[in-house]
Amino acid sequence: MTDLASYAPLAIILLMAITFAVANVVLTLLIGPRRRGKIKGMTYESGMNPIGTARKRFNVRFYLIAMVFLVFDVEIIFLYPWAATFPNLDPSSPDALVWLFRILFFLLTTVVAYLYGFRKGVFRFD
Amino acid sequence: MIERIAWLWPEIILFLATCVVMVLGVSPRLALRRQCAFVSGLALFLAAMVAIATGPMATSPWPQMVPFMKGTAGFVGLLTLLVLAGTVDREVDRDQELGRGFAALRANRAEFYAFFLFSMTGLMLCASADDLIWLFLALELTSLPTYVMVTISTRRSRSQEAGVKYFFLGALGAAIFLYGFSLLYMGTGSTDLGAISTQILAQAEGGAINDIAMAGLVLSLIGVSFKIAAVPMHFYTADVYQGAAASVSAMLAFVPKAAGFIAILLLVSTVGWQWGVADTAGVSLGAGHSLPEPVRLLLWVMAVFTMTVGNVLALLQRSIKRILAYSSIAHSGYMLVGVIAGPQGARFIDNGVAATLFYLLSYGLMNVGAFAVVASMEHKGEEADDLDALRGLCRTRPWLGWTMVICALSLLGFPFTLGFFAKVPLFTSGIAAGEYALVVILGINSAIAAFYYLRLAALPMLEEPVGEAPALTRVPARIVAGVLSAGAALGMVLVAGFFMERAARAAVPGLFDGTHASQSATDQIARSGERRADE
Amino acid sequence: MHNLAGPLSQVASSADVGVPAQGPAWASLIVFLPLLACALCGVCAIVPAMRRTKLPAWITVALLGVSFVLTVLLYQDVSAGEHAKTVLVTSWEWFHLSWGDAPGQQFVASFGFYIDSLTVLWMLFVTGLATLIALYASEYMSHDVGLGYCRFFAAFSLFVFSMACLVMGDNLLLLYLGWEGVGLCSYLLIGYFYNEAGAVAAAKKAFIMNRIGDLGLALGIMLTFWHFGTIQYAELFPLVAPYVEALKAGDIGQIPLVVQAIPLLLMVGAFGKSAQLPLYVWLPDAMWGPTPVSALIHAATMVTAGVYLIARTYPLFAVSELALPIVAWVGTLTALLSATIAMAQFDIKRIMAYSTVSQLGYMFAGLGFLTSTGAAFHVFTHAFFKASLFLCCGAVMHGFAGQLDLRRLSGVSFMKGWGIVGIAMLIGCLNLAGFPLTAGFFSKDMILAEAFVTPGPGYALAGWILLVTAGLTAYYTFRVFFRVFVGPQHAEPGDEVHAHDGHDAHFHPHAPGWAINSVLAILAVASILAAGTYFIEKEQHGWVGKMVHGSTAAEIVVGEGEHAVRAAAFRHDLVGEHAIHGESHEPAGDHATPEEAGGSSIAHGSFLGMDPHAVMYYVSSLFGIAGILTAAYLHGPRGLFGLFIGSRTEAATSRADALVPALGPLVQWARHKWYVDELYDFLIVKPLWVLSHIFHLIDQLLIDGLVDLMGRLPSIGGRSIRPSQSGVLHGYAVGMASGLAFLLLLVWLLTL
Repeated sequence: MTDLASYAPLAIILLMAITFAVANVVLTLLIGPRRRGKIKGMTYESGMNPIGTARKRFNVRFYLIAMVFLVFDVEIIFLYPWAATFPNLDPSSPDALVWLFRILFFLLTTVVAYLYGFRKGVFRFD
Repeated sequence: MIERIAWLWPEIILFLATCVVMVLGVSPRLALRRQCAFVSGLALFLAAMVAIATGPMATSPWPQMVPFMKGTAGFVGLLTLLVLAGTVDREVDRDQELGRGFAALRANRAEFYAFFLFSMTGLMLCASADDLIWLFLALELTSLPTYVMVTISTRRSRSQEAGVKYFFLGALGAAIFLYGFSLLYMGTGSTDLGAISTQILAQAEGGAINDIAMAGLVLSLIGVSFKIAAVPMHFYTADVYQGAAASVSAMLAFVPKAAGFIAILLLVSTVGWQWGVADTAGVSLGAGHSLPEPVRLLLWVMAVFTMTVGNVLALLQRSIKRILAYSSIAHSGYMLVGVIAGPQGARFIDNGVAATLFYLLSYGLMNVGAFAVVASMEHKGEEADDLDALRGLCRTRPWLGWTMVICALSLLGFPFTLGFFAKVPLFTSGIAAGEYALVVILGINSAIAAFYYLRLAALPMLEEPVGEAPALTRVPARIVAGVLSAGAALGMVLVAGFFMERAARAAVPGLFDGTHASQSATDQIARSGERRADE
Repeated sequence: MHNLAGPLSQVASSADVGVPAQGPAWASLIVFLPLLACALCGVCAIVPAMRRTKLPAWITVALLGVSFVLTVLLYQDVSAGEHAKTVLVTSWEWFHLSWGDAPGQQFVASFGFYIDSLTVLWMLFVTGLATLIALYASEYMSHDVGLGYCRFFAAFSLFVFSMACLVMGDNLLLLYLGWEGVGLCSYLLIGYFYNEAGAVAAAKKAFIMNRIGDLGLALGIMLTFWHFGTIQYAELFPLVAPYVEALKAGDIGQIPLVVQAIPLLLMVGAFGKSAQLPLYVWLPDAMWGPTPVSALIHAATMVTAGVYLIARTYPLFAVSELALPIVAWVGTLTALLSATIAMAQFDIKRIMAYSTVSQLGYMFAGLGFLTSTGAAFHVFTHAFFKASLFLCCGAVMHGFAGQLDLRRLSGVSFMKGWGIVGIAMLIGCLNLAGFPLTAGFFSKDMILAEAFVTPGPGYALAGWILLVTAGLTAYYTFRVFFRVFVGPQHAEPGDEVHAHDGHDAHFHPHAPGWAINSVLAILAVASILAAGTYFIEKEQHGWVGKMVHGSTAAEIVVGEGEHAVRAAAFRHDLVGEHAIHGESHEPAGDHATPEEAGGSSIAHGSFLGMDPHAVMYYVSSLFGIAGILTAAYLHGPRGLFGLFIGSRTEAATSRADALVPALGPLVQWARHKWYVDELYDFLIVKPLWVLSHIFHLIDQLLIDGLVDLMGRLPSIGGRSIRPSQSGVLHGYAVGMASGLAFLLLLVWLLTL
């Protein structure tokens, strides 16, 4: 069995954190004043006054666009470290070729994703 | 690392096909879209053939199991694909035929087939996994697409409800086994299964297996049991199977289950079946032929509860899909018996792992038939899921009726059907491993299962039809799948010996290079051979 | 003066030769030709063109005829030379199981045939009568041409095949096969008119009664194998020989009890098949079958299987102390009981059935009285005359639309075309009544005389009972003849009147055709000729005697010449003394009469102080003629055929009617067969019925209850955990989490 004693400081930290969080909430409930009003109950919209109800239907394309954005976002996240590492490889070694094909394969998947999105009509607004 | 590509060609083929289907499925031309199923089928067939041709994968704990399970996955997947055909996009296609244009956003074909192929890719990746992270990713690749497939399989809210339940509970299960994996890594310092095995055996020789590693293994097994729908991770099964279209349920009953069993076999292979039954911490390594006691106890309790709960709940149902769902829980319990028994001895009938693998193959084949019957019947535009729909089916719809009869009898394990030859090795291997209590419970459960399986068989065969016969689906492939499945349930009996031999070969644990584990494994096999020879 | 003893002992000593030789291979055709006939009848049933003809009958007659001819050839083969020889013919190996090399560690039963003179004797009348009766049936069954006709002749041929297996089989298992085969055919043919409830019930009754007997037979065969290690006759009889020697030496103590038990079991089988007390009740009911069946199976052949079984295993019976006395007394009592029943019946076929039971009783009594010759001779003569009697009754039934009531028929012999029937009937009746110089007379005499000759437990009393029974037999036989065949002509049709006849005011009986008439003529002549066989080979008690003595059925004889006596275990003290006398060559004096035998206990019985062999001819004639005269007085019509003492002028009434009140309830009881059926019903069927209801109740409440409970348990279990499947997502998540916790806790607590 691992020596648990070495974890004691961690436990104390955890305990303190929990105590602090819970104590804050409870104290607020106990001592904080409560005043209700129309403005106070208003939806927070970054300082703007909201118009209409918040329970509104969004066009599904917003989600699709978000997803497509995600595809390219992830692509960039993967491409950057690859690009940073690739120049360090010896171009004549077989590893270099493998690394190249790996990223090409990855790019293929993004192309497929793009094609799929295109066909699905994600980029059309009408 | 790169040399593993050699064993991954089946997965690569499937992935490429997925890319094709993904684009093909959203093509504005109906004729092109209709090629999705064909492309998927071709890819599956190719993948299975390539997998079989590739042969054993040296780095896997079960080298021979890799081609066996990939082949099984490919061919059962093909059968499943026949049932899946025509599940989605009926309205979209009809609208286009009527000249109303193609609504790409409403169409689900691309996603449906692509996700099916993704799931199959995941299953095959599971089979070739030799690393915890790989295993985790493969398991999730198997499961995640199925969540979506459940949701889009019908346009009713029930499917969406089922999808949501499946997703959240699946995430919970995944969290559990991921946590288990991390503990296993913490306890052994490696994610490679071979290295973990070596480490665990070294720990055992040094006194005891690390508690954290053992806890990780236990948690992983419980978490993975979500995939095989074993108690206590079984709750989702009935609701999801019922909510999804029958065709998707047919897939759910096989693909995640197969992945789950592969994962379980991979995980328990890190400790192996070489411990005395009474050992708690594996002090006397190599003293017996059983799993370490914590793992054995865990699997034992799970097996008993799984088959019992599955069977008794199936008794009360009126929905065929729910009956099949609960029975699929029970079947998982049966197969766990084989896992507990372990790969003892050289003969097929003593080898529990071989029994489990063969049972998976048989169950996959028989199960598709039963679901195909449900998928093929319609009542007022919906699937005819009630037991009454089966009444007198042999007279009104003979092909479907007899398919149901044969598949139900085979699932029951009726003599001279495939199910019988699949179930008997579970009994014999359990007896060979000395798990008498478990075998008795397995026997009792088989008797309970007879209640509802005989009802499924008797309703079409012996009862008079009530009202008008259920309408037939417009997808003839499903009926073909059902008939093929029933044919396999009877015909496979003739060639069962071949597949049993393959399963027995697949159930031989691998030899890790120069490690203690390999030594123990070979010693163990040699010992069991000697023991048998002595007798 | 015991003139048969000398040659008898010679034959007996030469009978037990070593290993029998191989016989001619064609002998197996005798068995298989009837089987072929059966198969061909099946073919006829399939082919519509053949089904509509009488082809099945002709196939059967032809093949059975060939079988008969082959039997005659076999007879010549076997009886050539001075002594009848025993041969074996093996068709194929049937069973050959072995579990060791020691004797008794293998079980062999080949499909082979053991042919000695007893076999041939039986096969001669089986195949001969079967051929004739098949010919008769071709006409008799003509109203049923079609599927029924095929069915009838197929079963008929199958019966002959089974009977041949029974008689010719060279081991007890093949005998058992034939035994069950004839039982099956009997069942099929009794139930031939399966639309009638009575026929079905009768068929079932026959089958079940026979099963009781068969159980005994099967146990007997098993015990035989257990003790002797073989059931092949050729091996079995040499193994029995030491016991026979022990018997001859008077050393009865050497014979183990197991061996003595074997015949007791075999006997039960014989009683069932040959309709003896207490298993006889099926035979009268068996008359539901078509008359040719009654004639062949239930009068001439199958019912003599019991006699054959005892005769075949006679050495086994002889070495048992109890077996033969039981056989004798069961036979005697059966003879008396069924004769009294026959006297009170009105259905002529039923009277014949009871007379068959009665005559079978005589045969068993003969076996018990140590005269297997007498028994076999009576079987032989009875086969002919009883077949002819049945066929005559059948002709009447056929001609008068099923009418069998002797009160509704009269003067049939005088009707146009019925002459041959009348004459055949008369000859048959004379035989059955034991009228002097008929075949039945000689064969019955032989048995009656031995009753008084053989000292046994109460055998003299049995002899008297059988004598009285002979008188009763003569009475009821001629009661039928005087009522039905002579007297004023009168005929009422039975209930099988065809539709077109029904409209007629007058019923026209149709006289028998050539097939029936010729068969009846042949049988009548044969039954007369059967008497003649008594005078051939006179010193061996006739031709039948010679046949029996050459076989395993030969009586076991101790001593030689004048001093010879037949040996049996139940008189071991006599035999023992005799053996001592014989060995010491003491002059034992004349054993024929007790007076002359003096102090010696070896004594033949006497009949009122006279030699039974000499006197019995006259005594039995007396009883027979008295019976006939009584029948003539009570039932005979006015005139010659009432022998001048009859006075009957109409069909329905006779002088006997006046006697009925005088006899009180006796007549009523006899008419109701002494209420034996009711007794069985009360003693066996009713208790079983009650018991079965009790068991049914137990089964319903206890066993079914338990089974139901076992069935309900899973469902109860399901109901109790069903709420866990609430369909609520977070409920499931909680379930999974708590399950996880439970499992972890379990593993932790139990293993760490």
